[in-house]
Amino acid sequence: MLKCRDVPAEASLALDNELSRRRTMALRFHILMCRHCHRYMRQARLLAQAWTNRGEAASEDEVNNVMQACRDNARKTNSEDV
Amino acid sequence: MNEAKETTFADLVRTHHRALIAIAVPIVGHSEAEEVVQNAWIKAYRAWGNFRGDAAPRSWLTRIVINEARMQLRARKREAFFSEIDADASPDVLMDRFNADGHWQHAPGDWGTENPAELLESETLKGCLERLLNAMTDKQRGVYELRERGGLSFEEVCQNLGVSASNARVLLHRTRSALFQLVDHYQETGEC
Repeated sequence: MLKCRDVPAEASLALDNELSRRRTMALRFHILMCRHCHRYMRQARLLAQAWTNRGEAASEDEVNNVMQACRDNARKTNSEDV
Repeated sequence: MNEAKETTFADLVRTHHRALIAIAVPIVGHSEAEEVVQNAWIKAYRAWGNFRGDAAPRSWLTRIVINEARMQLRARKREAFFSEIDADASPDVLMDRFNADGHWQHAPGDWGTENPAELLESETLKGCLERLLNAMTDKQRGVYELRERGGLSFEEVCQNLGVSASNARVLLHRTRSALFQLVDHYQETGEC
C-alpha cells in the first residue's frame, strides 16, 4: 500500500513516464484518496511546466551577436569552398 | 539563408539562447558555456535548412549543445564529470515533512494558481530557484536541466551524460523535491 511518504518519488517517476502500469494505478488510487498528495502531484507538475516554459528571451544584443557570428562563419565557409 | 529563414532563426535564438546556456553550464562550467552555445548556434545555422521539425526545436538544439560541449571537453583534455554520481550529496528534503507512519505532517500549501507562467512571475522566487540549482553539484543540475529545460527523454539524459538510470532517477527526484520545498516555503512565507 502506497504511503504519502512514497508519493514524491513515485510522482517524479510518473513525470518521466518511468512508472510501471501497476505503480501508476497505485499512485492514481492514492491521489484520489488523499487531498494532500493530490495537491502535491498537481503542483509538482505545475512547477515542472513552469521551469520548462519560463520566458527568458535573449536580449537583442545577444541575438545580434549570435546572428553575426553565424553569418560570418557562413561567409567564411562559402569563400573557402570557392 | 533567405530573409524569412533568417528572421525565423533569430526568433529561435531569442527563445532558446539563455536556456541553452543553462544547459551547457553544468557540463563545461560558466566560463565556457557561452562559447559552447555560440559554436552550437553556428552548427545549427548551417543545418537549419535541413531541420524537418521531427523533434522539438529545443531538443534538437540541446543535442547540438551537448555535442559541442563534449568536443570542448575533449579539446581541453578534460573528462566529463558525470562519471560518478554522489546521490547522497543532496538529501531528500521532503522526508522531514512526513510523520513516522508515513502521512504528511506538514502538507503542501495551496499555491493559488494553475498557470505555470504565473507561478514564476516573482523575480525573487526565480532568483532563489536559480541559486538553489547553482548550489547543487554539476551532475545533479545537469540531469535536471537536460530533462526539464532541454526536453530530452529520460533515456537520452542517461545516455548523453553517462549516468545510470538508477542514479538519474534519484537525482531528478531530489532536485524536484528541493525545488518544490523552496516554492512551497515561498508561497507560505513570502521568503526563500
